Amino acid sequence: MPEYIRSGSVEEAVGLIAEHGSSLWIMGGGTIVMQVLESGADYWQYIMGLDGLALDGIERANGSWRLGATATATQIRAQPDLPALAAAARMVGGPALQNAATVGGNIYARSPQGDLAVVLLALDARLHLATADGEQAPSLGEFYDDWEAAGRTPPGLLTAIEFAEPAGEVVFMKCGRRRFNSASVISVAVNVAQKDGKVTEARIALCGAGPHAQRCAAAEEAILGGKLDDAAIARAAAAAAAACAPVTDTVASEWYRRRMVGVYLRRALAQLA
Amino acid sequence: MTTKVLRLNVNGEDTLVPVGPMATLQEVLRDKLELTSVKVGCAQGGCGSCSVLIDGELRLACLTPAEAADGCTVTTLEGLNESNSIVPIQQSFIENYAAQCGFCTPGMLVATKALLERNPKPSRDEIIEALSGNLCRCTGYLPIIKAVEDAAAALSGKQSA
Ligand SMILES: Cc1cc2nc3c(=O)[nH]c(=O)nc-3n(C[C@H](O)[C@H](O)[C@H](O)COP(=O)(O)OP(=O)(O)OC[C@H]3O[C@@H](n4cnc5c(N)ncnc54)[C@H](O)[C@@H]3O)c2cc1C
Ligand code: FES
Ligand code: FES
Repeated sequence: MPEYIRSGSVEEAVGLIAEHGSSLWIMGGGTIVMQVLESGADYWQYIMGLDGLALDGIERANGSWRLGATATATQIRAQPDLPALAAAARMVGGPALQNAATVGGNIYARSPQGDLAVVLLALDARLHLATADGEQAPSLGEFYDDWEAAGRTPPGLLTAIEFAEPAGEVVFMKCGRRRFNSASVISVAVNVAQKDGKVTEARIALCGAGPHAQRCAAAEEAILGGKLDDAAIARAAAAAAAACAPVTDTVASEWYRRRMVGVYLRRALAQLA
Repeated sequence: MTTKVLRLNVNGEDTLVPVGPMATLQEVLRDKLELTSVKVGCAQGGCGSCSVLIDGELRLACLTPAEAADGCTVTTLEGLNESNSIVPIQQSFIENYAAQCGFCTPGMLVATKALLERNPKPSRDEIIEALSGNLCRCTGYLPIIKAVEDAAAALSGKQSA
């Protein structure tokens, strides 16, 4: 079994990550890491906990939000001024799980987990990664592109997530098998700004429809520039269902997920029409 | 194999416990401290039968490395029993036949206690949500929800509906 270690500072944590490479696994709330360890996998020499680094602050200043990487789902669901993200946090497992689950860990979760990440994509969030080569600040979309290109998560310690106060309206919807504490079949987040009856900005993200949460350009293009009417919404829903690449697992089949992507995207956009 | 010695306050008592690498809090509470109200349902975070309070917060002992709880206050159902603070909730579970095999009951009681500390007069929906991480495979949820409703009413001094 690996050894549990802590670091006294972000600098020290970055040093440990650089020193131990893939034999060290970072643990936020541990709700995924501990499951993997308890299932018997023990490839790692070290598990590095983040408690003690004080990375759990939530701040709002000058038109932007900054969430510390270890802010929990419980902390986030208590933010009335972030209604879509709070709604997503409320849907991450049950209350005991929410007391442990961090927003940082959610970004690294594999689909269909990632209910916070899908909202953060719609908010066009930027990550702050502390690495041996200094601080990096990719957008969440770029981070996932790098992940796919390299076939593994980009190295470094995620310290914070930042996003501007949304200009548009943001809606999160989740299709689960139960009302609470239910793994996502899929979830969707939309962030749409409209002016003079036309859609001026559209960010649409899906979770459970690929290896991790991701934006859906085809659905965004289907509504950008025009009126958000039934026809446009139907085009976006059809485009998303066609473009997505869900998996079959114990929660739902690929077929059902694809259907639900269309249904839930339509319902989410209809709230803004 | 390196053993570390943790300092925990468990159910009001300061305790030094030697633990092996990545031992879970669940293993330590059950196997070292014999607090067997902490059940092992799934060991995957999915059932809530290992619910405990860490520094007063509801947590799953199976997903908590014991070392992450070093220096913390841990309360199990045994601790709530000793302080007698759980008795009205237990009474209500008995009266409502809210335990059949009883496996999920310790977790249900700890989660109920955590809820009522935070929200002494929960609505039915709030009770359902607060217990949503705790699975019961045999009693069924209706008697459990009723038991929590009655316990909340009894504790907040109003008549049960
Ligand atoms: C019963 C159950 C139900 C669940 N339900 C849901 C659900 O409904 N929706 C959902 O989205 N998820 C769900 N999850 C998954 C999980 O709990 C959440 O995704 C959670 O947010 C993960 O965060 P964590 O801090 O616990 O992650 P951890 O287990 O600590 O880490 C997960 C991954 O992230 C990496 N990581 C964590 N923090 C950092 C950091 N700061 N820097 C770099 N890497 C980091 C870790 O190395 C690891 O690879 C559920 C899990 C369980 C056990
Ligand atoms: S044993 Fe911990 S949640 Fe099931
Ligand atoms: S009483 Fe048997 S599992 Fe709940």
